[in-house]
Amino acid sequence: MSTPAITPFLPKWRGSLTDRARFQRQMHRQPVDRCFNMEFGYWDDNFKLWPMFRDHGITNNNDADIFLNFDRTAVVGSHWMHPTFPYEEISRTATTRVLRNGDGLIAEVPMDGHDTIPHFLDSSVKTPDDWKRVKEERFDRRHPDRKADIAAILRDHPANRDYPLGVWCGSMIGKVRDMLTVEGLAYAVFDYPEMVEDIVETSCVLVEDFLDAVLPHVAFDYAAGWEDICYKSGPLVSVGFFRDVVVPRYKRISTKLRAHGVDIWWIDCDGDVRPLIPHFLAGGVNTMFPWEVNGSGHPGESLDRWGPELRIMGGVDKMALGRGRAAIRQWVGSLVPYVAAGGFIPFCDHRCPPNVDPDDYLYYLNLKEELFGMRG
Amino acid sequence: MPQLSELTAAVAAGKRTDTVRLTQELLAAGSAPQDIVEKGLVPGMAIVGEQFKKNEIFVPEMLVAARAMKEALKLLEPLLASAGIKPKYTAIIGTVQGDLHDIGKNLISMMWRGANFAVIDLGTNVSADKYLAAAKEHNANLVGLSALLTTTMPAMKDTVRILKAAGLSTKIMVGGAPITQAFADEIGADGYAADAGTAVDIAKKLVGQAA
Repeated sequence: MSTPAITPFLPKWRGSLTDRARFQRQMHRQPVDRCFNMEFGYWDDNFKLWPMFRDHGITNNNDADIFLNFDRTAVVGSHWMHPTFPYEEISRTATTRVLRNGDGLIAEVPMDGHDTIPHFLDSSVKTPDDWKRVKEERFDRRHPDRKADIAAILRDHPANRDYPLGVWCGSMIGKVRDMLTVEGLAYAVFDYPEMVEDIVETSCVLVEDFLDAVLPHVAFDYAAGWEDICYKSGPLVSVGFFRDVVVPRYKRISTKLRAHGVDIWWIDCDGDVRPLIPHFLAGGVNTMFPWEVNGSGHPGESLDRWGPELRIMGGVDKMALGRGRAAIRQWVGSLVPYVAAGGFIPFCDHRCPPNVDPDDYLYYLNLKEELFGMRG
Repeated sequence: MPQLSELTAAVAAGKRTDTVRLTQELLAAGSAPQDIVEKGLVPGMAIVGEQFKKNEIFVPEMLVAARAMKEALKLLEPLLASAGIKPKYTAIIGTVQGDLHDIGKNLISMMWRGANFAVIDLGTNVSADKYLAAAKEHNANLVGLSALLTTTMPAMKDTVRILKAAGLSTKIMVGGAPITQAFADEIGADGYAADAGTAVDIAKKLVGQAA
């Protein structure tokens, strides 16, 4: 959300289209005035360590987007547990705390609160009986708080807005992994496949309910979702299960989206997503985000391989950003033909880590404008 | 009496109930525990490793196979220990200091066990001193360092430096989401594995066993 107190640190890239038109045209491989300018964000530590953030009171990614004057996007919708598990501390050691999170996962986190991915220890859902109880308590599709507030969406994002608005299509398998743990999902797919399929189906129905409510009233520009179901060496879910159980639900959702003109659907999935790309595409998910290079390789290789059906958002190697300006110029320069071809919006391939020199980061942003903006 | 090849197939398919049953039947029929490990379980995990390297299977199938093998080893390890039979090579493994993540480390640990290494798992957030003490105590052939986060890569570098400075003959292998061969070379590690499949081959090579 816009905060009046934030004075942009950088000028907005010059352009002749609105952010909305630019996004739409770029993702459909049509001519644009310049590339859509966005970044995925930063680790919390960056806000403490980078002088440009620290000295200007920038403490979160929403504020950073305004501060660095990126093109605007917004997404509405939320579908998962309701209510979530209550957060509670289970135990603590001298250096760590063990907490139960909103997904019912028990996780270990550092006592000093430094920015990290939690270490998940155990799940609240391990058997079909666990799932039956959790489903009844937390996945009631008739819960009044699940009702879409159409008026509020239209008030916050009017039809004549100049930025692209996305509709959140949740997660069909990543949140299942969140609830069961990586190992728990692997074992459950093997031991209780019907239970896992029912969790996926439940997720799908909640998304469909929301889409049925909002799509007739709001003109969305894209759909968005999250899975994080891959790691550096490939999928964290059986590819066969993904193809046979997850993809049919994507197809159901995609059918609803396309019936209302929403034909761009990006999913946030870290790691090496390449083994899942044909299945994502078959399900109607046509844009991968944030394309982690260390897992999925150079984005151009896959754009060349899959042709215009695949779009990518991200794909700027965070490791290159950390190696200095020559490496940054080399990497960003390699993306030029793919940005020109459309269907590709370059940004750091995850939250930018704090090991990147902030001056080099500004060099990177400036280089992007030089190569992909109207200044070039 | 079941064939060892049936056990191999059960492990590779991740069928833990079958794996346990076949192990019990082989023991009851007089098979030597060491043969069951070396000719039944280890080949099963080798199949899994090969399939993983070819992208025919991924982590979930590997986890399920490793779970099956682990259940069988619960039956076999006491028998092996009482007979004084130990694996030829010993590996220490852990996630470096500051990093609490263990999925990758656990997977490598299971694959090394599946290749018949004795594996001492130090857990997560392991200091360099702890790696060093364990390497000395167990006369380890191999130390494996894992990191998930870019922010803990410096701890990996420090650990390699301290282990190398101690002058042990122990080989050091690194891996994890942000780790690359270039980083491994830069910090002086002896080996780098991009995934759990190649981790077995690299480990065998480092300790001098034909892969």
